[in-house]
Amino acid sequence: MPDSLNLIAMGFMHALSPVNLLAMFLATVVGIVIGCLPGLSAAMGVALLLPVTFGMDPATGLIILGGVYCGAIFGGSISAILIHTPGTPASAATAIDGYQLTLQGKAAKAISVACIASFFGGLLSCISLYSFSPLLAQLAMKFKSPEYFWLSLFGLTIIAGVSSESMLKGLMSGFLGLLLSTVGMDPMEGVPRFTFDYSILDSGINTTCALIGLFSMSQVLILAEKSIAKRAKPAAFTGRIGLTGKEIRRLSPTVVRSWIIGNLVGILPGAGASIACFMGYNEAKRFSKHKEEFGHGSIEGIAGSEAANNAVTGGSLIPTLTLGIPGESVTAVLMGGLIIHGLQPGPELFTTYANMTYTFFGGFVLIQFCMLAVGLFGCKGFAQIARLSDAILIPAIFLLCVVGSYAIHNNYQEVVIMLLFGFLGWLSHKFGLNQAAIVLGLILGPIGEKGLRRALMLSDGDPSILVSTPLCWMLVGLCVFGLLSPLLMGRMGHGLKK
Amino acid sequence: MFRKTFSLLIICLLLPAFAFAWSPEKDVTVIVAYKAGSGTDTGARVLMQYARKYVGQTLVINNLPGGDGKIGWTELTRSKPDGYTIGFINLPTFTTLSAQPQSTFSVQSIIPVANHLTETCVVVVKADSPWQTLQDLVKACKGSDKFRCSTNGNKASNHTAAQLLARSAGFSYKAIPYGGTADQLLALRQGEVHFSCAKIADVAKLSVGDSPELRILGVFDTKRLAQFPDVPTLGELGYYKEWYGSARALVLPAGTPKEIVDFYEDAFKKTMTDPECIAAHDKANLHLDFKGSTDLGNLIFSQLVFSRDVISSLY
Repeated sequence: MPDSLNLIAMGFMHALSPVNLLAMFLATVVGIVIGCLPGLSAAMGVALLLPVTFGMDPATGLIILGGVYCGAIFGGSISAILIHTPGTPASAATAIDGYQLTLQGKAAKAISVACIASFFGGLLSCISLYSFSPLLAQLAMKFKSPEYFWLSLFGLTIIAGVSSESMLKGLMSGFLGLLLSTVGMDPMEGVPRFTFDYSILDSGINTTCALIGLFSMSQVLILAEKSIAKRAKPAAFTGRIGLTGKEIRRLSPTVVRSWIIGNLVGILPGAGASIACFMGYNEAKRFSKHKEEFGHGSIEGIAGSEAANNAVTGGSLIPTLTLGIPGESVTAVLMGGLIIHGLQPGPELFTTYANMTYTFFGGFVLIQFCMLAVGLFGCKGFAQIARLSDAILIPAIFLLCVVGSYAIHNNYQEVVIMLLFGFLGWLSHKFGLNQAAIVLGLILGPIGEKGLRRALMLSDGDPSILVSTPLCWMLVGLCVFGLLSPLLMGRMGHGLKK
Repeated sequence: MFRKTFSLLIICLLLPAFAFAWSPEKDVTVIVAYKAGSGTDTGARVLMQYARKYVGQTLVINNLPGGDGKIGWTELTRSKPDGYTIGFINLPTFTTLSAQPQSTFSVQSIIPVANHLTETCVVVVKADSPWQTLQDLVKACKGSDKFRCSTNGNKASNHTAAQLLARSAGFSYKAIPYGGTADQLLALRQGEVHFSCAKIADVAKLSVGDSPELRILGVFDTKRLAQFPDVPTLGELGYYKEWYGSARALVLPAGTPKEIVDFYEDAFKKTMTDPECIAAHDKANLHLDFKGSTDLGNLIFSQLVFSRDVISSLY
């Protein structure tokens, strides 16, 4: 044990070198900016900076990539809060309550909550990275095809949580999302499905594209419509960013819960920050004493989503470094970087290359502090954006939507898809459908489909494979809990009031 | 008058040949039809890092994954043939897909530039499995029809390898597609399937050391691998006798002018003989194998014949 403590201490010493400090600061700022811009996701940011790190010391290179990763995941929340445009899919759930707070004039407060929650989510995820890496990595090995099917089903129970208005319309939205997720190449047979000969649809509907359309383009339409009728204006602006002791006490359990959720989701390959944010949000709501605030500007909702998506960062590094199995797309790119440096993921990273690995871990901890500093320092400035008049804001968001959806693959067809989804989002607003539920269906559909079809293929069509392991039963239990708990809790709350 | 027009026409036709050597003036897009962080992507990034010096512009990798390469290659073959879009194809997956009816591309829709890597296929099982040799595995497979093999996609490269083994050894099995080599090997490591066929670079690190996770049972080659001298070839054991593996090569969309093709062939030849580039490939466990435009053209042709005559008989 003293040996590993030595390594940890030495890692920090190396990470604190001026070069590394400068690198992590700049990388975090770059990450936040990339995260803020819709269309530029964390994975793209890391891929963009990957070639820059080739010539560097591997630890410095990794610290830069880690900084961009964490920065981008937090950065996505800024635009989600201010202009209802999740900068990365990881902040989709943050937009729900964040934007409501902006409308109430509490944009700065919302961003500072997002920043502090992101900080703790990231920092706590470092604990598991340091202490339980090999242990937790085994979890990734336990998740087979049937488990992924149940995981996606559990994810879908979140629809109940995000549909505050009407369960029926929430379910309809979820089914619409699932239906849309079947567009694209069949994952098992490799033949196109519902693509109508448009090659752009072969890879399915791009999630980022759909997200920009559903959340922000639809917002442009809604704002424009309102402006024509009557100018909508955010309430008087209050600049308070600090949290009171009471608020901190209120948020702490949410952050801890989201840390655990984010970490576990991060470890599982294929499930990433975009799913974790919804799960974090949903659990925050489930256990909240102020459920009525959700959907109307709850700081717990923001904290739940943001702590979870930043906890994914440390979590998804665990299987990447120990097993060579990336937890999500960003760490897949990061692993490519490792291999290019001649570092093969596996036990060697913790023995032969322990020096480099622990410097990176040290850097990863410090990156969280950089993120906190930049976020808190900047949040008043960022929040000014929300005070811009609609005459500037509407065209600006429109521009960001178009540029963002074009930037994903430099393809105009995706701009068209984004616009179609914008219209869909506007329609769903009109009919009271739920955009977040559509997105959930779109993200979880392919995971569930692959899991189910592969499992049944493995068992020659025998459905008992779906409940063949204890882990399956655990996930089934979670699904049942997810479905019934809103009812039970509602009744309990009712009983208590009586 | 006619003579004048005619000679003018000749001059016009010859002019491009004498034109100044082409070189790119802005960033070049490199299409990789697989995910960022995948084997193909990693190889591409190592090469592009050193190619910048000889191409003179930044080479931006654009990952267009999906459909076992179909999406990226469709995009590549439909790109403007102006020298600003180049891409990687994987053989024989590319020729197999192009030989399919309704394929969105064919070997005529690309121009070969240079071969980059060559990798041989191997048969692997988990290290703690009961099958010590390939004969053990084949014997077990013959006795049961419950054996499952993970592949990187329906009719993709590693699926073909499994089919070659099964046909030549005379057993039946069930192929489960996983859409990529990483997921395919994860399934094997998790024990969801019994065996798998994959490229040597993807399994080499997992098969060596004190406690290896995987065991290599056979090599799809005419001679044993230098790195694994104890592993027999399939031919030695009386199964498939030819080489089977994959190659990753750089190609341009059809219609690209010859001087652009020549420029890239030359630039990548220089890149692949650069000592630093070679060292980086060794470090990343990648098997560099440069072939020029003509040789690559021959390889693509032979792989097309293989795809049409051999692969089509496998499924």
